[in-house]
Amino acid sequence: MAERVRQRGISIFRPIVYGNTATVLTQEERNALSTPDHTHKWTVAVRSAASAPDSDIVGGADDLSYFIKRVTFKLHETYANPTRNVDKPPFEVSETGWGEFDIQIRITFVPESGEKAISFFHHLKLHPWTATTEPEIPPLEEALKIGPVHSWQYDEIVFNDPFQSFLQTLLAHPPTPLPKTKRRPIPFHATNPGSLEASKGGVPEFTALMEKEEAERLDVAKQAVIAETDKWRNILIEKEKELKKLKKQLEA
Amino acid sequence: MSGASAADVRSILSLPPPGTPSTSTQPPLKKAGSGRKPEGISRELYALIGPSVPSLLHSSKPRLKQKPNLGGSRKVKWERRAFKNVARKDSLELQHWVKADDPEEDYAFAKYNVQSDIYTYSQDEYNRLLEDSEWTKEETDYLFDTVREYDLRWFIIHDRYEYPHGPERSLEDLKERYYSVCRKLVRNRPWPGDEASKSQLLNSFQFDKEREVTRKKYLASLASRTPAQIAEEEALFIEVKRLEQTERRFKKDREELLRTLAGVESGLEGLAVDDDGPMGNGELLKKKKKHGSDWEPMSAGPSVISLGTPMPKKGQQSTKSSVPSPEEDILHCIHRTSAPVPNNLPVTKNAHTPVYLRSVKIPVPKPAGLAPKVIAILAELGINHLKLVMPTKENCERLESLLDAASALVDLKRAVDRVEQEISTTRERIDSSKSTSASVAGDTAGTPMDVDQDETGTERDADGEKEDESVRAESVVSMRSAWGRKSSRRSMSISSVDTSTPVATRATKRMKK
Repeated sequence: MAERVRQRGISIFRPIVYGNTATVLTQEERNALSTPDHTHKWTVAVRSAASAPDSDIVGGADDLSYFIKRVTFKLHETYANPTRNVDKPPFEVSETGWGEFDIQIRITFVPESGEKAISFFHHLKLHPWTATTEPEIPPLEEALKIGPVHSWQYDEIVFNDPFQSFLQTLLAHPPTPLPKTKRRPIPFHATNPGSLEASKGGVPEFTALMEKEEAERLDVAKQAVIAETDKWRNILIEKEKELKKLKKQLEA
Repeated sequence: MSGASAADVRSILSLPPPGTPSTSTQPPLKKAGSGRKPEGISRELYALIGPSVPSLLHSSKPRLKQKPNLGGSRKVKWERRAFKNVARKDSLELQHWVKADDPEEDYAFAKYNVQSDIYTYSQDEYNRLLEDSEWTKEETDYLFDTVREYDLRWFIIHDRYEYPHGPERSLEDLKERYYSVCRKLVRNRPWPGDEASKSQLLNSFQFDKEREVTRKKYLASLASRTPAQIAEEEALFIEVKRLEQTERRFKKDREELLRTLAGVESGLEGLAVDDDGPMGNGELLKKKKKHGSDWEPMSAGPSVISLGTPMPKKGQQSTKSSVPSPEEDILHCIHRTSAPVPNNLPVTKNAHTPVYLRSVKIPVPKPAGLAPKVIAILAELGINHLKLVMPTKENCERLESLLDAASALVDLKRAVDRVEQEISTTRERIDSSKSTSASVAGDTAGTPMDVDQDETGTERDADGEKEDESVRAESVVSMRSAWGRKSSRRSMSISSVDTSTPVATRATKRMKK
């Protein structure tokens, strides 16, 4: 009975990344496929946020199966059995294809968590990132030269007031902290187009610096907004004074 | 006894024992050879202190008769240079002497001209936040103007404060109003920095009128004591001290008596001798006063003891739930939301927040009407309002406060638009009333404008369009209400917007006539 007691006043989270990596297929590889119109091979995955040292994948330093029971990837209906359940790590699906589409990802948690599954979408990214938001698709030969395309989103799974037994499980598996310094390219994110250059050249890695950098971006924006607000407030007060004067004038 | 202590001293100084005279005679000889009398010490002094001269004396010879070194051979060129004080608003140019090789800089003392930043507020802010039954907006404006004029020097402000037909205000009244307005503004405006600096600023605007009044009352009563009262107070103080001493002596005596007669330590804590001195006794005294009872050693005893006891109890409790340490929490990604509630409370299903992805909680711009403009502002600043690269707790909060700030900005701009609209309407009305009064100067002389002007206007325009008339009637109502009560400004602004064009056309028509 004691196991089913919630630890109140606690919110505990686990950092994850989800997304995909895509590579252009060479002509020989395409010929070997049963579906020769497929131009890319890709892997969609849910992993821990920190990358293992010397690994060639984004994230995945920790095994998440201590709190994730199953990850379901819902692919486009044109794929054979589009709902793919992955019950043990690595939580990923590799496929080939020719087009981008939204993949529904559903994470089911271990039973002792007492939590319902959560689901969210990831847009499968095959074509290289560009600074502009308008996607321009380069010819395959060029894309082949650019190398694998990475599209990853950092997020945090937040458990509130976890059961004590589940909390013990979580406490037994502290996540690897994100590296403090930049060792590899930054994962590109459309929200921050400025990071395009820094994202080039190899397998990217999430770092604590990225969080700080984004915090700074938000702070700068906020300061700009507040400076603007102050300016407009002064304008408003001036205008109000003017109006008052005019009113008096009208009254006189 | 004395021999042992001599040996101790020797061992401490790590000298050889007296039994070996050959070595003991050697060192002084050596020292005598090597240690010549250093310069700068008189022979008598050297004889007294011997070779163990502090090293400082060696290095610095007193050179009393030397000429002072006045900055060497290089000549310094000074020149008279004109400068402008940046702190002045007029561009007055004065001259001062500076070293010729000093770079041209802003006037160094300009920075001491500190201007206190007096808050201002808009009508909208006043309506929303600053309404007070004791104060009108006009008087608050007057207060802020006075504060600005006298630069927060409260005594001067209070001295000069003279609001026509206003109630009598004490210095504390003024301060309270001013600081409460500042606090409300700080609290409700978007804040650029972090929470700590905000609360720091809020603290600096803290003003407790009651306390201030009490403090001044105390000070006044303290200053207005008569010599007789002061003497009485001192006498009382001495009396208390004396009582304390007798108390202590009495306790000691009793302790001793008990020990000698009964042969036991008295187990009564209340009788324990207080060794804390006057401070400790003072505390005890206070406690006595608080209890409001006469001196009861038995009742005071437990209260003293109880100070020590809670520790073990707390320890027992804390071992049950592990002590949270910030480092561990960061490692395990734990946020403690609030003080843990006792675990035995039944958890209803509704009370529990299910697991979620942090990014899901990114807020949407509110209210929906402003959303497009808020989003546009953020887009201009290169911020996506829907997605974050790193949606951590802190960043989500940052985005939220950014959204709040942006919607406040949008609100503000709308208020500016509204006031601008009103200004242009009022201008037009002034123009039209001017032309009206010019054309009907004879009729309206000496009569209040708001009613008569329009009556005459209607008469004159009776041959005009019917529509025009109805619109004007509306504008009359709105104008009257504007002059009658401030509170209905909003409604006026809306109706006046409607009337603005007809008024203008009317004006031009009249011009044609």
